[in-house]
Amino acid sequence: MDDQLKAALIEIAGADNYSEGLIDLVSYSYDASQHSARPSCAVWPQTAEQVSRIMALANRLLVPVIPRGAGTGLSGMAVPVKGGIILDLSRMNKILKISIEDRLAIVEPGVVYANLEKALGPYGFFFPPDPASGKVSTLGGNVATNAGGVKGAKYGTTRDYVLALQVVLPDGRIMRTGSRAMKSVSGYDLTRLFVGSEGTLGVVTEITLKINPKPTATSTALATFSNLEDAGRAVSRIMYSGIIPSVLEILGKETILAINKNTDLNLPEVDAMLLAETDGYTKEETDYQMAKIIEVFSSNKALEITQARSEQEAVNLWKARKSAYAVLARIKTHFVLEDVTVPMGKVADLLKGIEAISRKHGIQIATFGHAGDGNLHPQILYDGYNPVDVEKMEAASADLFSLAISLNGTLTGEHGIGISKAPFMSLEHDPVAMDVMRSIKRLLDPRNILNPGKMALDTKDETGETPTHAPANA
Amino acid sequence: MEAKYDFEKKFREQILQCSRCGFCQAVCPVYGSTLRPALNARGKMLLLKEVMDGKIDLGEDLIESLFQCTTCASCAANCPSGVNVPEIIKQARKDMVHIGSCHPAFVGMNDVLQKSTNIYAEDELPDFGRKRDKKAAFVYFVGCVGSYREDESTEETLDLMDRLAVDYTLISEVCCSGVLEDVGYNLNPKLARENLDRMFSTGAGAVITGCPYCFRTFTHRKEYDELKEKGIKVLHISQFLKDFDFGVKTGKKVTYHDPCDLGRHCGIYEEPRATIKKIASDFVEMQHHHADSLCCGAGGGVRGAFAKNSLSMARRRLKEAEEVGAEILLTECNSCVHNLVNAKLRKQNIKIYNTTAFINELVNKIDKV
Ligand SMILES: Cc1cc2nc3c(=O)[nH]c(=O)nc-3n(C[C@H](O)[C@H](O)[C@H](O)COP(=O)(O)OP(=O)(O)OC[C@H]3O[C@@H](n4cnc5c(N)ncnc54)[C@H](O)[C@@H]3O)c2cc1C
Ligand code: SF4
Ligand code: SF4
Repeated sequence: MDDQLKAALIEIAGADNYSEGLIDLVSYSYDASQHSARPSCAVWPQTAEQVSRIMALANRLLVPVIPRGAGTGLSGMAVPVKGGIILDLSRMNKILKISIEDRLAIVEPGVVYANLEKALGPYGFFFPPDPASGKVSTLGGNVATNAGGVKGAKYGTTRDYVLALQVVLPDGRIMRTGSRAMKSVSGYDLTRLFVGSEGTLGVVTEITLKINPKPTATSTALATFSNLEDAGRAVSRIMYSGIIPSVLEILGKETILAINKNTDLNLPEVDAMLLAETDGYTKEETDYQMAKIIEVFSSNKALEITQARSEQEAVNLWKARKSAYAVLARIKTHFVLEDVTVPMGKVADLLKGIEAISRKHGIQIATFGHAGDGNLHPQILYDGYNPVDVEKMEAASADLFSLAISLNGTLTGEHGIGISKAPFMSLEHDPVAMDVMRSIKRLLDPRNILNPGKMALDTKDETGETPTHAPANA
Repeated sequence: MEAKYDFEKKFREQILQCSRCGFCQAVCPVYGSTLRPALNARGKMLLLKEVMDGKIDLGEDLIESLFQCTTCASCAANCPSGVNVPEIIKQARKDMVHIGSCHPAFVGMNDVLQKSTNIYAEDELPDFGRKRDKKAAFVYFVGCVGSYREDESTEETLDLMDRLAVDYTLISEVCCSGVLEDVGYNLNPKLARENLDRMFSTGAGAVITGCPYCFRTFTHRKEYDELKEKGIKVLHISQFLKDFDFGVKTGKKVTYHDPCDLGRHCGIYEEPRATIKKIASDFVEMQHHHADSLCCGAGGGVRGAFAKNSLSMARRRLKEAEEVGAEILLTECNSCVHNLVNAKLRKQNIKIYNTTAFINELVNKIDKV
């Protein structure tokens, strides 16, 4: 770390909020993906003003800056591939305002999703995206990755709730986007540009979120299917029924087998299971919706349909879905959790295609996910210390992406592009779209210092080079 | 390649199994009070992974993370990948001690327990005005913190047992020395031998411990297997007291802090609550309770080595008690009481007791009227 930069960072953030200690550098080399790279130092800013000064400094000295929340990203988005300064925003963790009459909450980016949920609870309100990582991931991270969750089909993703942002641009200027009003068509939608931008365009330092009243009643049911086509058709037919379930999750056969091998849940070993939940404010209302869904399940050859008659029974029906990730995480030393997404009518095709890819490469892929919005999680299990396995995993991933695109889908419904999917960007986006994205990046970050090396945005910067900053301890 | 360290030999698979999901960050008390991910379980597993990968050396640089773990096991209880972080940390600490990289406070603790009979190197074991080493049905084993730091609480506990006419004796006890396992050393078999001999000579059929850590040591460590072999039961005081009727009640709002060693490590959650519910009409749980309980910050040698962070962990716990409006915070561990009391700010009105001490105080009040 060069002394001038270090002294300046300490002057800005304070000695307690700066580190170049080995333990911090190692910890900030990783997120929840398989990627890693060493930063030069870490700073924990406390205010937007500090972030602004840090950005101005880094911009002047051409040092990469990587914003970071909880580091739960699954695509290497917060991994400092070009070295530089980790800007850990988790100490900016105040909930600034909850206004029920305006239906909004204003938060700093380091607030953990679950803490906002806890604060909204007493008002009977919630911020719906509900990512599975909500106990840990930060709202800044959720905004930067446009996080979603099991309720995506009915409630959308983070994007649908961000009303306004305060953003520090790569040159240090502070900008406000959007408005606290529920509606605004004033100028370009800069807010949306930053949602899902993976920390490549600006550092989010304040977030204004729309919040919803929380439904108080739910109905839950589980259906099993002896073949994928039936399950897939059931999903499409639910869309015709006029009901939008609050949850519609699918478990594929490989996942069911793995759960049975590793728990005592004793699930029927069928080709697919669908878990549905409807929500509302009275039991009559949610049961009415569920009856329609159950009708669809029956007319599409469901083998067995179980509707929960109590809260405890609902918890039991959720057990298989909730255990999926933890079961699959323990089978091999490594896994990648993909999140390819297709139009709902193509869910069955996607599942069948995944099975074919698994057979073709001789690698285990277990699938579960959000059938209700077409977002599946094929989890590829492999031994990361075995080069043959790694090669298979990479080939299978590439095939998965091609499959999703061929079904008019997308590379990623939730987890983002980061490093993992950067090589596949041009599979989904045409050259014109890529050019526009790169131009936007160049416009806001001409010196390419903010989270460089991600999302295939790296064209040459104005000096003809991508700036890198060698990690001191590498 | 032959593994260089024992932690790798024993735990390589588990360390690799850490998927870096970061879920432990939500529950690690050290992270919670420092907001520094290098100190949570994931940070620790990554350090060990890089050591195994030959990227970094096990050494001084890692002390601040690897020795700053209360071994509370919250991470293990919430880890989707089944990584038993505290056991891995304990082994890594032993490896570090072996190569001479150890926090000075931990070295000190081992030195003391090679020479002295207790962790505070105190000369005289208090007898609480009672005859020791008698023949009795029960041995009451106080533990170091209860003997030398929270002696008033112990006095109250013993008074209560007297009132209940329990046929017990204290013994000339020495430290169970289980804590050495957590701080990079090994339980001292000489100390274990002394304790066992004194327990046996009382003829007691059961040992009651005031300290959850001693309880854990007597029930889980092989050096104390003879207790089981001789059919001598080990009970924590909270288990022993659950069937008694105390004839007292408080209307104050009471909450309960699960000590990590009693709860997550030994699975004892309900007995302490059964007793408290008998004496308190207004009982509330804090946000984190049972297996989700938040550590008080004292364990794993952290209080001695990283005092400031240890206290700030205790403050977070007190804040939870305040948030639910509790006037009385009860627990079942002298170490927790000690840390929580030390962390309490003057403006905080909440009172902190071991359940036994609180009950005895209630009984005393009735007696005075
Ligand atoms: C087990 C598991 C389950 C998951 N489940 C889901 C799920 O259901 N749905 C889902 O959408 N995701 C899920 N994820 C992925 C991940 O949790 C989300 O992407 C989450 O939004 C990341 O938040 P974070 O705070 O951890 O961000 P980080 O991982 O720290 O950062 C992610 C990206 O955001 C940027 N960033 C962070 N903060 C800021 C800021 N203030 N300003 C600008 N950029 C910033 C970083 O630079 C990086 O590019 C899961 C991950 C795991 C490990
Ligand atoms: S919860 Fe377990 S798997 Fe996840 S980061 Fe922590 S130790 Fe690793
Ligand atoms: S045992 Fe407790 S203190 Fe140690 S890493 Fe796990 S959660 Fe943190």
